[in-house]
Amino acid sequence: MHLGTRVRAVALAAAGVLLMACGTGTSTSSNLAPSDKQVLNVNDGTEPNSYDPTQQTYTYEAGVGREVFETLLKPNAAGTDVQPAAASSFDVSSDGITYTFHLRSNAKWSDGKPVKASDWVYGYKHLLNPALAAGYVDPFFDGTILGADGYGSVDVSSASAIDTFLSGLGLSAPDDNTFVIKLQHPAAYFKWVVTLWVAEPIRQDIVEQAAGGSFPSSDTTKPEMWAQSANTIIGNGPYKISEIVSKDHVTLVPNPNYWGGAPHLQKITEWFIEDANTAYAKYQTGDLDAITVPLANVDVVRGDPVLSKQAKVYPKLTTFWMTFNAQRPPFDNPDVRMAFAKSIDRDALNKQVQHGIQQSILSFIPKGMAGYDTSNDAQKFDPAAAKALLQKAGVTADQLNKFTLLTRNTTRNKTLNQFIVQQWNTNLGLNMQLEVIDSKTVTANIRKGNFSIYGPDGWGADYPDQQDWFDIFFKASCHSLNWGCVDLPGYDDLVKKADGELDQNQRNADYKKAQDQLINSAAVAFIFQDYEYNLIKPYVGGLTITAGDDQSLPGNFFWHDAYITAH
Amino acid sequence: MAVIAGRPNRGALLPRRLAAVTDSRVGSLAVYVIRRVLWMIPIVFFVIVITFVLMHSAQGSPWDKAGGRQLSQVVVDNLNKKYGLDKPVFFQFLLYIWNVLHFDFGLSYQYQGKSVVQLIAEGWPYTATIGTLAFALIVPLGIGLGVLAALRQNTRVDYATMGFATFAASFPNFVIGSLMIVLFSVLMYHWTQGAFFLPAGGWGVDSHLIMPAITLALLPIAYTARLTRASTLETLRQDYIRTAWAKGLTERLVVIRHVLKNSLIPVVTTLGPTFAFLITGSVIVETVFSIPGIGRAFVVAVTSRDYPMILGTTVLFSVVIAVANLVVDILYVFIDPRVRLT
Repeated sequence: MHLGTRVRAVALAAAGVLLMACGTGTSTSSNLAPSDKQVLNVNDGTEPNSYDPTQQTYTYEAGVGREVFETLLKPNAAGTDVQPAAASSFDVSSDGITYTFHLRSNAKWSDGKPVKASDWVYGYKHLLNPALAAGYVDPFFDGTILGADGYGSVDVSSASAIDTFLSGLGLSAPDDNTFVIKLQHPAAYFKWVVTLWVAEPIRQDIVEQAAGGSFPSSDTTKPEMWAQSANTIIGNGPYKISEIVSKDHVTLVPNPNYWGGAPHLQKITEWFIEDANTAYAKYQTGDLDAITVPLANVDVVRGDPVLSKQAKVYPKLTTFWMTFNAQRPPFDNPDVRMAFAKSIDRDALNKQVQHGIQQSILSFIPKGMAGYDTSNDAQKFDPAAAKALLQKAGVTADQLNKFTLLTRNTTRNKTLNQFIVQQWNTNLGLNMQLEVIDSKTVTANIRKGNFSIYGPDGWGADYPDQQDWFDIFFKASCHSLNWGCVDLPGYDDLVKKADGELDQNQRNADYKKAQDQLINSAAVAFIFQDYEYNLIKPYVGGLTITAGDDQSLPGNFFWHDAYITAH
Repeated sequence: MAVIAGRPNRGALLPRRLAAVTDSRVGSLAVYVIRRVLWMIPIVFFVIVITFVLMHSAQGSPWDKAGGRQLSQVVVDNLNKKYGLDKPVFFQFLLYIWNVLHFDFGLSYQYQGKSVVQLIAEGWPYTATIGTLAFALIVPLGIGLGVLAALRQNTRVDYATMGFATFAASFPNFVIGSLMIVLFSVLMYHWTQGAFFLPAGGWGVDSHLIMPAITLALLPIAYTARLTRASTLETLRQDYIRTAWAKGLTERLVVIRHVLKNSLIPVVTTLGPTFAFLITGSVIVETVFSIPGIGRAFVVAVTSRDYPMILGTTVLFSVVIAVANLVVDILYVFIDPRVRLT
């Protein structure tokens, strides 16, 4: 137990990170390309729906937000702990309630003004204003920041009700360089919550200037006007936006006032190319420096003497699974669910459908973060045992054949599910069918519990802490991602205990129990962990690739250290 | 979005007593145009009604995500309040109509803080540029090839032209687009060591336009060529054409002065809606070539249930199609002297 008077939590120095840094080429920083060639072209896929970081929910949005704004802390390259970012250090009180962040005194906004603690308070309140309905606000009101648990009951049409709520939050700025957050109760994972891209400082004067003056807290359009133009998107991150060409690209140039000094890359262009094949072509013609290889071209890349050398495969902190509706017999019977879980040959699925990129998984927590544990193989492929389980449950093929596998109408989901349903039909002697429908309709149906089996669905870590994962299967999350709504006796209490636990070993032990419960009761059938198969030009150096990188943006947590070598 | 090709129902729309002041041809044309423009108001209204009903009867909410954790209920409730979706649907409809009357098409749900008008203003120039360029290819090539094939009926020229037309019409444009990218971007880049190749997508008013414009134009060229050929063949068999030949006129004169004027009427009829289609965008061409136009924006709006954006783009498309049909009707007057707009 870390029960000193105060726990100095941030210990890792930047040196540790530099050791992890891996240039993809053989060149070192001694033969850098001239500064006008220090340009990185990457594909972000889709334009952010908002340039206000507090409003961003998808990885393609965070992929821009993370460069323009900087959070208090950020995950280290190995994903084992947090490291300093906008805060040079932080203290946690011995009761685990008060987090004091020491801001860098030399931190400046991209327009040169100093970043003050009051900007952080304003940014957090902007995020927690219920009228603005930020999509990723849950980790901040759900059992963390003091006073924020009333988030859902605020009357959003009343400015005074909102003001009362916001002023009651445990956020304060005792001086310009100290930002204090008080929690409702201890939450060992809170250091990770502040690494989320939505938790940024925001400049009140800029927001109000763009809105044409101050506005009541219940206003929903004026507070977003500043985020509409590159001129008013003033951030504290290593880069600033110099140009937005809507749905085409966004150009980032160094923030000259960034505390961490000037980066090598003088320009980063994030393109919004939705078609992976087009991006693949643009990589080959030199217009893009890094891409995700489209699945259909994986074998081409492997066979190509040049491209195969530029390929990089690395794990993502994302697990996929198949969901059974445990509210609908016979899937309320764990034996039936386990029979389905044990009759998917995951290795064959990976090999035949996914070109061997993804990794089969029989457990919940993915490789690359604490909690990854392969010891429990209860869901292992075993058709004979699966059939026996069905017999034990007394369920016949005729009963099961009337159910369908509900599938979203994307190519990837269709091909995966064709294989999976075929596995069930072959290994369990069934004749089940796929039901492929429009994605939004699928969500509407699973929300109502109107399905038998649905998948693949999954989760990608917001931050590499297990708390971010296990609350998915809370009873109260039945209509969020725990669609099957499996009855897990004692699970909620066990996980909540682990979430608040300050002793990391005890936490891990509790989470391990919870994971075993998920696996053994076949709450879902875990099938694979997502891997990223990328091509990166050999002249891109200094990349620190982590499992938390945003899709198609390799190394984007540490682009400040990346460079282009002479080529 | 259905396009009804063909001539609109004329007459019977104008009160008899007004007909007196519309004696002159120009006067009658002006009244006709005004009347047709006014007719667009109820048309757009019904387009809105139908779209509104269809849109709200499609399952799923704008806030649903395609997999992963869904937004928590309190956030969804607040979003509904923010965008007025907590009110009864009929009230939402009346509010929308009221706002449209003030030229306010609302804010997009997907792109926060951006108005529908702004999104359309951003995307339409791209789409319209490529569409217009494609149209500039379609008219001379489609008509030219069709006339050529008809004049040289059952010769190698005819077979080659119609063979090309069948080929172009039977390949879906995502196949053509992808093949062109492989050929003119990737392989060309390899063969010329990067010295010459066409960009594989993205926007730029230069070589970026070549492949998308051709991809977009191929099918309409094929269609127009076949139609022109059929219609020209029919005209060539008319008595007055035989007379023209008999008078000893040159082929050029016969074709331009006598054949084309008559054979082009059905072609012009289809070119109007074709043009409307082209400048409102093709989701496939815009996706394959990564063009930030409104064809893609419309489809994204539908799949993400961005109601104001769906309505805004649908209204735009209906107006563009109505205008294109009106222009076609006016063109008839100049092509065929027998046509009277009343």
